[in-house]
Amino acid sequence: MLPQRMKKAVTDNPKKLATLIDLVNLPSTLREFVGQSQSSRLGCFRRVWSYIKDNNLQDPKNKNIVHCDEKLKSILLGKTQVELAELPMLIKLHFPKGQN
Amino acid sequence: MGKLPPSLRTRNNLALPIRSLVKNVQSSPLESQSQSQSQSQSSSHHTRRKPKLTTQKPPTSITTHPSPPPPITFTSPDISAAKTLFNSLTTTKHSSLINNRFCNAILQSFSSVSSNIQDSIVLLNHITKTYPSFSPDKFTYHILLSQSCKNPNSDLSNVTQTLDLMASNGFQPDKVTTDVAVRALCSTGHEEHAIELIKKLSQVEFTKPDTYTYNFLVKRLVKTRTLSSVSLFIKEMKEGFHVNPDLVTYTILIDNVCNGKNLCEAMRLLDVLKEEGFKPDCYVYNTIMKGYCMLSHGGEVLRVYKKMIEEEIEPDLVTYNTLIYGLSKSGKVKEAIKFLNEMAKTGHFPDVVTYTSLMNGLCREGNALAAIELLGEMESKGCSPNECTYNTLLHGLCKARQLDKGVELYGVMKENDMKLESGSYGTFLRALCRNNRVAEAYEVFDYAIESKSLTDVTAYSTLESTLKWLKKAKEQGLAV
Repeated sequence: MLPQRMKKAVTDNPKKLATLIDLVNLPSTLREFVGQSQSSRLGCFRRVWSYIKDNNLQDPKNKNIVHCDEKLKSILLGKTQVELAELPMLIKLHFPKGQN
Repeated sequence: MGKLPPSLRTRNNLALPIRSLVKNVQSSPLESQSQSQSQSQSSSHHTRRKPKLTTQKPPTSITTHPSPPPPITFTSPDISAAKTLFNSLTTTKHSSLINNRFCNAILQSFSSVSSNIQDSIVLLNHITKTYPSFSPDKFTYHILLSQSCKNPNSDLSNVTQTLDLMASNGFQPDKVTTDVAVRALCSTGHEEHAIELIKKLSQVEFTKPDTYTYNFLVKRLVKTRTLSSVSLFIKEMKEGFHVNPDLVTYTILIDNVCNGKNLCEAMRLLDVLKEEGFKPDCYVYNTIMKGYCMLSHGGEVLRVYKKMIEEEIEPDLVTYNTLIYGLSKSGKVKEAIKFLNEMAKTGHFPDVVTYTSLMNGLCREGNALAAIELLGEMESKGCSPNECTYNTLLHGLCKARQLDKGVELYGVMKENDMKLESGSYGTFLRALCRNNRVAEAYEVFDYAIESKSLTDVTAYSTLESTLKWLKKAKEQGLAV
């Protein structure tokens, strides 16, 4: 019944899992936003997502769209408006492969 | 639950005061049992009835036995502190209430934190000295035995020492002793020692393991060891000590090979047990049916069922549930539904497992709406759906492109604090994203973590890969 593909995707792959939960030294822009010098990609994503919710940055008519404030803009390539769907990719840009 | 028709709810509420008026003195255990089983709706009544029961109880309990002294729980394995704590009891008003049972409880509590059996023996001696009226009994020594078995020496010397101590105080170890020792050894993962000890104890008729102890050990062994080494143990016990496997032992073995999807071996064991003169019962057949279910061989499940009927073995609820599950899983829902009536004829009424299996089958066929209909039927018969039912339906609705109904169902799940399973979570996310409802998908992601349905890693990686898949599909002009 359960889609096996989906379940196996990341959690079974130790390398992919590591890029998600390993603490890494954050670049300066992100460091300011998160308020910590180290974070995991997952932790960072959850931080950004809760920041969006706390500050009501979603477009009231189309919740899929986020209007960035100055602080958020600084970490999302300076965009004034982003789609929620691209949020994981945008955050991933701060976590290049082969770091550490 | 939330979906129950209001008509049913009010009827239940009305019926209750009348019932409680009639039966305010004696509430039969049978009634309360059937009530708690019937549906979770009644469980809320149950809690409302409880205070009444407790207000009745105290007067009777006070007259019959005096309230026991407050239980002591030791937190430190320090023996002198334990002695002081015990002595402090002598000065309290409860001291007159100290009896054998209480002393055993103290010893039990201390032995659970202490790792040194000598300390426990010292405490026991201290108690007997302070309270000469306390005479250590079999339980007292079983407490010590259990403690020594939890930290056995490599040569089991401390276990033998405790057994000797027991015997020298006039308590011959018996079958119960064997059982206590084996369970304690296994509970700490010392199966190897348990085998050694059981062989030693089997030499004396008095301490030979009974079938419960023996089967308990076999059950532990099949989980931790290869089948061949378990077979060797069974053979040794049989030839060396005349401890023979029984039908339960074979059922355990068959269950184990079925879980490993080795149906060939299961059938061989079935032949062996028949050769030994046992008649397979419904548990054996249920187990084999389960094995075929795991392989999605619905036809074989049905064949086993027919064989059962041929051999005049009475099927039980589990038989029917397994059969219906197996048929549904392998795409034979129509056949499965036929058994609903058949089981009712034999006095077994479909429960939440039966209905959920059928819904699963219907959803596999893409007929989620029929599954929803079945939910209505199930609730009208007083059978409440559970988390699994809702997850099955959510999965089915999303697969059948009935997202709005799925969102509605999700609302009910959320209201009732139900957890999402990873499968239905993934399907739901994909359906939401496909319909351009990414924000809602994020909200479901939050709920999955909040409700502790999934770890944040699983929840996030599903979300991320769904969004990645969405982007790719959009680029190729497939989605939406």
